[in-house]
Amino acid sequence: MTQPSPTNLSNRLGYELEVNGVRYPITADAGRSLLSVIRNEVGLTGTKEGCDDCECGACMVLVDGRPVNSCSFLAAQCQGRSVTTVEGLAGDDRLHPLQQVLLDAGGVQCGFCTPGMLISTHALLTVNPDPNEEDVRIGLSGNLCRCTGYTNIVAAVLQATGTRESNAGAEPEA
Amino acid sequence: MFPPPDPVSYYQAMTAVDVPRFVRADGPDKVTGSGRYAADLQQPGMLHAKFLYAGRTHARITRLNTEPARTIPGVLAVLTAADVPDVRYSPGVADRRLFATDVVRYESEIVAAVAATSVEAAEAAVAAIEVDYEPLEPVTELEAALADGSPLVHPDLDSYDIDDGIVAHGNTAGFSSIELGDAPAAMATAATVVSSCYVADSCHAAPIEPRAIVAQWEGEKLTVWSSTQVPFDARAGICQTLQLPTNRVRVIVPHLGGGFGGKCGFHFEAHIAALARAARRPVKLVFSRREEFMVPDRRREGMIVDITTGLDDNGHIVARTGWIAIDNGAYIADCAFFPQLAAMHVAGPYQVPNLQVEAHLVYTNHQPSGSVRAPTAPQACWALESHTDELAATIGMDPVEFRRLNGIDNDTVGPSGQHYERTGLQECITAATELVGYGRDLPEDEAIGVAIGWWPSFSMPAGAYVKIDDDGAGQIITGAQECGTGAVMTLRQLAADELGMDPEDFQLVYQDTSAGPYDTGATGSQTLFNNGRAVVGAARQVAEQLKALAAGQLEAAPADIVLADGVGSVVGSPGASVSIAELAATAAGGELLLGHGSGSPTQAPEVGATCVGDQGMAAWVSPQVSCHAVHIRLDPDTGVVRVLKVGAAHDSGRIINPMGALGQVHGGVIMGVGQALTEITVYDHDGHQLNPMLLEYKLQTAADGPEIEVKFIESAPGDGPGGAKGLAEAPNVATAAAIANGLARLIGHPVRHLPMTAERVWTELTGGIDSTDATKRQEA
Repeated sequence: MTQPSPTNLSNRLGYELEVNGVRYPITADAGRSLLSVIRNEVGLTGTKEGCDDCECGACMVLVDGRPVNSCSFLAAQCQGRSVTTVEGLAGDDRLHPLQQVLLDAGGVQCGFCTPGMLISTHALLTVNPDPNEEDVRIGLSGNLCRCTGYTNIVAAVLQATGTRESNAGAEPEA
Repeated sequence: MFPPPDPVSYYQAMTAVDVPRFVRADGPDKVTGSGRYAADLQQPGMLHAKFLYAGRTHARITRLNTEPARTIPGVLAVLTAADVPDVRYSPGVADRRLFATDVVRYESEIVAAVAATSVEAAEAAVAAIEVDYEPLEPVTELEAALADGSPLVHPDLDSYDIDDGIVAHGNTAGFSSIELGDAPAAMATAATVVSSCYVADSCHAAPIEPRAIVAQWEGEKLTVWSSTQVPFDARAGICQTLQLPTNRVRVIVPHLGGGFGGKCGFHFEAHIAALARAARRPVKLVFSRREEFMVPDRRREGMIVDITTGLDDNGHIVARTGWIAIDNGAYIADCAFFPQLAAMHVAGPYQVPNLQVEAHLVYTNHQPSGSVRAPTAPQACWALESHTDELAATIGMDPVEFRRLNGIDNDTVGPSGQHYERTGLQECITAATELVGYGRDLPEDEAIGVAIGWWPSFSMPAGAYVKIDDDGAGQIITGAQECGTGAVMTLRQLAADELGMDPEDFQLVYQDTSAGPYDTGATGSQTLFNNGRAVVGAARQVAEQLKALAAGQLEAAPADIVLADGVGSVVGSPGASVSIAELAATAAGGELLLGHGSGSPTQAPEVGATCVGDQGMAAWVSPQVSCHAVHIRLDPDTGVVRVLKVGAAHDSGRIINPMGALGQVHGGVIMGVGQALTEITVYDHDGHQLNPMLLEYKLQTAADGPEIEVKFIESAPGDGPGGAKGLAEAPNVATAAAIANGLARLIGHPVRHLPMTAERVWTELTGGIDSTDATKRQEA
């Protein structure tokens, strides 16, 4: 088995990374993922690692407004781009409406998928501000949640957009 | 950007029960990303840990050389069995050690552990360790493992420390039976006898957070931050294996990213603590997704169920016999009670006057099994309830009618001889079938399946303190552990109700073994049931103190003081009142407002049955019952099943926090959908896992998720606070069974192998050759 080289400095790059509107000077190995740099160099741990393989969506961030699994995106590719993490959603004193409605609707349990879920929701609503339930379910299908059965998350997104035609439990009983 | 939410009207729409009064206290941390999980923690000088795993399912170590690892720059500790106390542990049967000594019994058994200054250096060190193995024959098939002459997973089992009551020998890690009446004799009198066999594959809890641990020594004191559901169990495991006194070890759980049983038990905290001691540095372990699947001794157990039921001329059950084999894996973890629990689920919530069920927990060279949400229940319920539909079909009775006729009811006796004074089962059947419109005409590719299930509430020790600070705000300091369910969050509501305060007036200090009193942890759906009673007890002490203070100020008797809306007032004289904040300020200058509580044990119910290998599972405190009715659609060309709607009716006693309760049912149901259709851990012939990643192990996504409608039946209160029972596991019991029964209607016969994957369904549809054990056994 080839042994990884723990002290190989030859691949280190220096670059600037903009996260949530703040520019950070980064020096890191060229192969480092955006997730790893956000968590360990920038120091923002809201973005989670659930699989390191693009399968769970817990590490979702926005790069120039588009959602990417940051575990499988090179940090060095983000030079000159704008990265948004869950920490970039809320205002100074109040939660982002999506954060508030997710809480109010019971869409948060263990919370580990929540940052990625919020980022994916934000990305969905940016391109489709008035989604129906199917749009929401497909839009969030890259984000695994083991707690909620998605019911209250989907209902929260529809609630946030003012859509009340959800049949995911949000309608009054006949 | 978006209109403001309207939570109150939203919740009124969702449920007939009360509107919640608050959102969960840990919610803002979780939606902003500011909440810390174990993997988020950093300590100055912190090292990174990696384990060397056996990579073989059954082999003898003939040479182990760690010297090459020690020479790699940045490596500060390399540990093997030789470096820790020689202690064998595990609840029930002491069958394992922290590190392999001579024989490895599953592929992820830990042979060595390394701590280094970087993850890469730790990986390089693990790769440099030299181990030679002599292969041993793996044991992977349950019936072969029980046969005479099988190779033994633990040849020295008889010399291990085994708890009283556990029947273990050969490859049987535990045997239990439940016997009531005379089943063979009654079976001989039956008008109709039906026998079935079902086989369930193993699957995984798969929390989205892989586990992480940080250990740090300061002098002789150890602090461990761990993603565990059971911090007190973790502490006990550390103390037992590293031979430390309890009061020198503190286990803290940051926010926990889900568990579902997968993070119950004592796992790797001692390995990391031992590394940290050897390296004289804090050490951190973070599992990859692959490790999260393959390493912990927590996997939902595979199972074989043979079941025979005899009916009289009127369709009443007269006798039932069952035989169960459960895949324990290489070490017993917490499985000692599984055989008897599985037997209860094969007996089911039915009136069965004559019962004989035997269950074997079988050692194999698979990853150990352990409590995953409602252990044994989804598989055993799936087998029993599929069998129940076969019974009904055999005598030409509607399957729902059959369940009404034979299911337990108020003032009836169940299959283990326990008398049920009150149960909501019949109401659950009515409610769930109505939620999906059972009996209506459907397209020919759609059907509705119905299943009933049950689950205990567990009475366990639990403790909490309640205090009111000088400004009148409260704190609840509890040993309870929050794993996402919201159970700990709900403790605020209970304290507030006792003290006439608002839940928002309380902060929680929790999941810290040195702060709160003992609690069993986020396991067995026990938090609210037990710690809720502890908090109520603590809050009542504070209420008495407040009433005494108010009585002094208002010149009334303490018994005449009422605490409500943040004030203490005299009964009948609402004008005579003093605020709790004022009382708290007074108390702060003298005798402080402090209460402590520990839920008193509930009365143990009587068992009517005779039990061998009794593990206390044959009679249940505050039994929960449920009925799930599932509307499905089958694509006959592909065998793909789509779950359209699930109607879930639950008797879990009084519902205290409707938001939390709904979330538990939603989550349990979708986990059941996954177990029914897609979640399978695949092994090769030697017992290696073949699909330990999330692309190959298919969880349900938002796009797969069905509509879920819930109704709580609250007519049979339990022994928990305010009449509550447990809840979190019960919703995971009956969904797979209900899906199976819908599917059997569409196919014409049951699919006898769980999960009922598209491939297996398609095979049944096309009459193709099914290579599964279940089919072979059924035909034999």
